[in-house]
Amino acid sequence: MSALASAVRPLGPTAARLGRRHAWTAAVVVFFVLLLTWNASQTRNFGAFEIQTMLASTLALAYVAMAQAVVVIGGGIDLSVGSLLVLANCLSARFMEGTSFGGSVLVALVVLVVIAALGALTGLVISVSRIPDIIVTLATSFVWGGAALFVLRTPGGGAAPEFQALVLGSGNAWWPALLCLLAPLLLVWVPLRRSRAGIAIYALGSSKDAAFLSGVDPLRTKVIAYAVSGLLCGLAGIATTAFTGGGSSQSTIAINATLTSVAAIVLGGVALSGGVGGLIGPVFAVWSLYLIPNIMLGLGVDPSYGEVVKGVVVVLVVLIGGQLRLRRSRSP
Amino acid sequence: MTDVKEEAIRDEGAAPEASFVARVAAGDRSLLALIGVLVALVLANGLIDQSFLSLSQLRNTLLVTAPLALLAGGQTLCMLTGGIDLSVAMTATAAAYVTGVQSAEGPVTAILAGLLVGVAVGLVNGLAIGVFRVNPLIMTLGMSGILTGLLTVGSQTFLGGATRMSDLVLELGGGTIIGPIPWNLVVWLLLGGALVVGLRRTGLGRMIYAIGDNRVACRLAGVRVWQVETAVYTLCGLLAAVAGILIGGRSGSVDLQLAGSYLLPSVAAAVIGGTSILGGIGGYTGTILGALILVVLDTMLNLLSVDEALKQVLYGCIILVLAWVYARGTASA
Repeated sequence: MSALASAVRPLGPTAARLGRRHAWTAAVVVFFVLLLTWNASQTRNFGAFEIQTMLASTLALAYVAMAQAVVVIGGGIDLSVGSLLVLANCLSARFMEGTSFGGSVLVALVVLVVIAALGALTGLVISVSRIPDIIVTLATSFVWGGAALFVLRTPGGGAAPEFQALVLGSGNAWWPALLCLLAPLLLVWVPLRRSRAGIAIYALGSSKDAAFLSGVDPLRTKVIAYAVSGLLCGLAGIATTAFTGGGSSQSTIAINATLTSVAAIVLGGVALSGGVGGLIGPVFAVWSLYLIPNIMLGLGVDPSYGEVVKGVVVVLVVLIGGQLRLRRSRSP
Repeated sequence: MTDVKEEAIRDEGAAPEASFVARVAAGDRSLLALIGVLVALVLANGLIDQSFLSLSQLRNTLLVTAPLALLAGGQTLCMLTGGIDLSVAMTATAAAYVTGVQSAEGPVTAILAGLLVGVAVGLVNGLAIGVFRVNPLIMTLGMSGILTGLLTVGSQTFLGGATRMSDLVLELGGGTIIGPIPWNLVVWLLLGGALVVGLRRTGLGRMIYAIGDNRVACRLAGVRVWQVETAVYTLCGLLAAVAGILIGGRSGSVDLQLAGSYLLPSVAAAVIGGTSILGGIGGYTGTILGALILVVLDTMLNLLSVDEALKQVLYGCIILVLAWVYARGTASA
C-alpha cells in the first residue's frame, strides 16, 4: 500500500505541472474540436474531403504561425514573416515552373536554405545593432517584399503537379498535408526544444538579462531562433506555391499572413512577452480561425463578418487570458 | 544635518537636470541631422529634375505629406507611451468611408460623422489597452480586422450608396488656398502645432513621456495611467480620422483600400524621426521631418524611374540604417 502510494506520489505534482503548462494548448484544442463539430454538423457528408481542404488551404498559414511562435518565444516579434513567405513563394514558383518532380524538390530545398539564411541574417542584424526586433523586421519586410517583386513581377510561375500532390494530397487524401505539417515539428522543433539551443530560446524570451547572466549567448540564440523561423517561412512559401500552383508578389498577401500569424500565436497560447508557449497551440488556432467564416456561411451569415468575429475572439482571448494571469499573480 | 539633506536633494535634482539638457542637445543634433538629410534629398531632387524646386512641386509634396504626417502623429503618441497602433490605416479608411456615405447629409454632418468614427474606434482601443490591459499590438490588430469586416459587409448593406465626397471635403483634401499652400496644410499645421506644443507644455504631454519611460513608476507616483492611455489612443483615432478624410478628399472617392498603404509608412516616419518604439523618447517635430523625408525620397525614386522592387528594398534599408544610427546614438549617450 505504502509502496504504491510512494510510487504514485511523484506523478501528482508532475501531472499538475503538465496540466498547468499545457492548459492553454488544451483549451485551444477543445475550442477547435467544438468548432469542427459545429461545422461538421452543418455540412452534409462531412468527411475526408473537407478535412483535406482545411489542411491544404491552411498549411501555409500554419507554417507562418509556427515561424512567428518561435521568434516570439525567444522574446522578439517578426513583422517580416509574411514577406519571407511571399519571397519563398515567388522564388519557388519561378524556378519550379516546367521542372520535373525531382527538379521541384531540388528547388524547394534550395529555397528553404536561402530563406533560412535570410532569417538568420535578420537575427544577426537585430543582435548586432540592438535595434528592437519590430523595427528591424518592419524594415526587412520591405526589403524581402521588394526582392520578391524582382523575382516575379507579375503573378505566374508554376510547380510540378506531382510535387503539389506530394505536399497537399489530392481529392480525399488528407494525410500528405498533415505529414508535411508534422515534419518540421518532429524533425526540427522537438529536437531543438530538447537541446541547449532550444532551452536558451525560452530562457532568452523569459528574461534577457537572467539568460545572459546564466551563460546564454544572446547573439547565437537569436540567430538560431530567426533561422528556424526563416526555415518555416520558406516552407510556408513552398506550400503556397503548391496550393496556388504559382506565385504572386502582392504585398497584401504578406501583410495578411503576418497579421494572421500574430493573431494565431496569441490565440495559441504564446505570450507576446516571450518565453511561454509552443508550436502546437498556434497551429490549432490557425485551424480555428479558418473554421469561423465557414461556420458563419453555414449559419447563413455574410462570411465577411468572419473578420469581425476573428478580431473579437482574438481580443477577448487576450483580455481574459491577461486578467486570469493578473489574478493568479495577485492571489498567492 | 538638514543642510546635508537639502544638499543631497539638490544634487539628486541636479543630476537628471544635466542629463535632460544633454538629452535635449542630443535630440537637437539628431533633428539637425534629419534636416540635413531632408535638404540633401531636396537638392538632389532639384539636380535630377529642375522642376522639382518649383512652387507647384512644393505644393504637391505638402499635399502628399499632410495626411501621412497626421497618421504618423497619432502613431508617435502611441509609441511614446510604449504602445503602437496598427489600426490607424483602417480607422482612416472607415472615417473616410463614413464621411463619403454621409455627404448627402451636408458636408459638416459628414465630416463630424467621420471624426466620430475615429474617436469611437480610438476610445475602444484606449479603454481596452488602458483599463483591461490588452497588449496594444493585439488590440489594434484585432480592431483592424473588426473594421475590415464591418466595412466589407457595411459597404453592401448599411453603409451602401455613393461614396462621393462633398465639395468641402474635396477642397480640404486637394484644394489650394494660395500659391503653393494647399488647404490640408492648414489642417496639418493646426493639429501638428497643437501636438508639438501639447507634448512639450501640457501635463498630459509630460505624462505621455513619463509612462513610456517607466509605467510602474508612474502608477506608483499616482498617475492615472489608464486615463492617459485612453486619451492617447482616442487622439490617435481622431488624427487617423482627419487623415483619412483628407486622403479621401484628395482621391475624390473612397474604397476599402484607401489608406491601407499608409500603415507601415506611419510607423516608419515616426521611427525615422527618432521616436523610440519602446516609449519615452522622441517627439512630433522629428516625425514631421520623417514624413517629409519619406515623401521626398519617394518622389526622388520616382524621378529616377527606379522600379517598384528596388524602391521597396531601398525604403527598407533606409529605415534600418536610420534606426541603427539612433540605436548607436542612445547607446553612447
